Amino acid sequence: MAVASDSKSMDHALDLTLVDKIYAGGVHALRGISMRVAKGEIFGLLGPNGPGKSTLVKVVTTIVRPTRVEGTVLGHAIGHMPTLGRIGYLPEHHRFPAYLTGRQCVEFFGAMTGVEKKQRQRRVSELLDTVGMLAWADKRLGTYSKGMQQRIGIASAMVNDPELVILDEPTDGVDPVGRREIRDVLLQIRARGTTVFLNSHLLSEIELVCDRVAIMVQGRVAKQGSIEELTRDSHCVRVVFSGDRPAWAAEAGGVAVMDRGRHALDFPKATSESVQPVLDRLRIEGRILHSFGEVRESLEALFMREVTDPTSGRARPIGAEAGR
Amino acid sequence: MSIVWMQTCALFVDAYRELNARKLFWIALVLNALVVAVIGALGIDEKGVTIIVWHLEMPGVTSALFPPEQFYHTLFASFGVGFWLAWISTILALLSTATIFPELVTGGVDTLVSKPISRHRLYLTKFATGLLFTLAQVLVFTTLSFFVLGIRGGVWSIGLFIAVPIMLIFYSYLFCMMAVVGSLTRSVLASVIVTLLFWVFVWAVHVGEQFTLLGQTVQRVEISAIERRLGNAQTLDGRAPLEVDLSEANDSLGVWRPIHLSLYALKTALPKASETIQLLNRSLKDIADVPTADEEEMGDGAVAGRGFLGSKYARRRDVEAAVRSEMSTRPLWWVIGTSLAFEAALLGFGAWRFSRRDF
Repeated sequence: MAVASDSKSMDHALDLTLVDKIYAGGVHALRGISMRVAKGEIFGLLGPNGPGKSTLVKVVTTIVRPTRVEGTVLGHAIGHMPTLGRIGYLPEHHRFPAYLTGRQCVEFFGAMTGVEKKQRQRRVSELLDTVGMLAWADKRLGTYSKGMQQRIGIASAMVNDPELVILDEPTDGVDPVGRREIRDVLLQIRARGTTVFLNSHLLSEIELVCDRVAIMVQGRVAKQGSIEELTRDSHCVRVVFSGDRPAWAAEAGGVAVMDRGRHALDFPKATSESVQPVLDRLRIEGRILHSFGEVRESLEALFMREVTDPTSGRARPIGAEAGR
Repeated sequence: MSIVWMQTCALFVDAYRELNARKLFWIALVLNALVVAVIGALGIDEKGVTIIVWHLEMPGVTSALFPPEQFYHTLFASFGVGFWLAWISTILALLSTATIFPELVTGGVDTLVSKPISRHRLYLTKFATGLLFTLAQVLVFTTLSFFVLGIRGGVWSIGLFIAVPIMLIFYSYLFCMMAVVGSLTRSVLASVIVTLLFWVFVWAVHVGEQFTLLGQTVQRVEISAIERRLGNAQTLDGRAPLEVDLSEANDSLGVWRPIHLSLYALKTALPKASETIQLLNRSLKDIADVPTADEEEMGDGAVAGRGFLGSKYARRRDVEAAVRSEMSTRPLWWVIGTSLAFEAALLGFGAWRFSRRDF
């Protein structure tokens, strides 16, 4: 297998260009995907159900054979066998054998990735502790709840101390407390310097932990960048007040909106300094100011904009398109 | 430790844990032990057969006719191997291992193929782990039989353990079909049904080949017998009917031979399950001095009469001796080698399909 000579590839855990996948049934799941994930970041891939997120992850982990692929994973071509040993992977609908205990399961995947026995035993205990499953380590997976199985899955994906860990819907079926704990684990993983590729359709989860995101729609990357970059254009200063809406609001550049049942004015691309005269005028006219500050579009709003068909105003059809 | 060795060990340990968790595995082990216990409970003395403390007077089955070591050897070869291991234990093993490949391609396949192991190696190692069930069952059966033969028959024959590799090879013929069908269809039911049908097909081809071999051999012996008589016939009147019979026998041979050849060719391409069991019987006789089932059948039952299978001159004993001679000349490479070649081709196809597939 070729080692990537491009120095930029060496700075990225994942550097994909022009990834295409057409399934045997004619479904065109991936359409020229290009994506870069920097080393040490948490990268979120989000999209509605069926736009090809899991297919992309499976291409990277060699579970699905791409129709066309260029690029590298950890500096090597996709499919490079030793590189797979440097990747951790938790699939979306994993089915770990019910006859194994949590400890045996993590140990098994450690052996499959070539971790030496002594090191494996030590790491398994550490990881089970990290994911909060040490007390359940010697009970069979068949007795675990979905959330507990996800934790074991994360520990299994981490047992080889990977440089890149790919988690496909890691909080699927997990209760809110468990989700928060899993988020904490992801932050711990990043703190170790491991790159995390998180595939999820839970926007709040992505927004909370990811450094950069990509939004996939119908087999293509619609947007890619940090949440800051993606929502920069929506930056505004919001003033929330009581009383009637001023007639001069539009003239002053404000857009009237509602904020938790109160009147508010949004001033796009304004600064705190530039809205001071507006605050003064509102106060002089007897309105009570509740808050003012910089706001930007939420990830959810950005996402909805990307997955909505601008002509019909309705959500684009779910899933990748069949045929060309 | 190299990663290849580490992964292989992990897959085998996992397979052991999976077996350990299955009730059928333990039920089959207990059944194996029970069968050997039944063999051990039987005995033979000068008056007949004994069952634990009870005596059954059987003048035809006494220690004078069958020394205890031969009695137990016969039980082991004909009942233990010929019936229990070749049929019941094999069916139990097929049922127990039927889920391995459908579960591989529907369950945890994505977590496995994303690891640094080639799909070919994963597929073939999984196949090898599937043989663990049979290995455990045959090993327990043979080990217990070894002690029963030693304690009850007075013969400590290590050669009995030849049953372990041969039964493993025999089971692998069927398990390769189960693996390929299971991984292609993802269905446990389909893999069991197709494997059982395949077993019946292989058996039917074997029976057909043996029957046509017998028919062909009858004609050959008939022709030899007629030719001997022709050589002795002095008069023209005496030769005329023999020449008619000779012509008929040659015509008949001309019919049997191509049919037999076709079936023999087909059988060559297929696994030879029955021959492998016969090979085990022959090996037991050679190594452990166990009388074969064939010999028992051929003993008193072989009537030295004439007119066997519609022939006029061929003697049954001569025909059966000729068939036995033909069978014994079939070399090991033909019995095991061509069977393993079929297995390798089928597994190669299964592994190739597995390696090309999206999960």
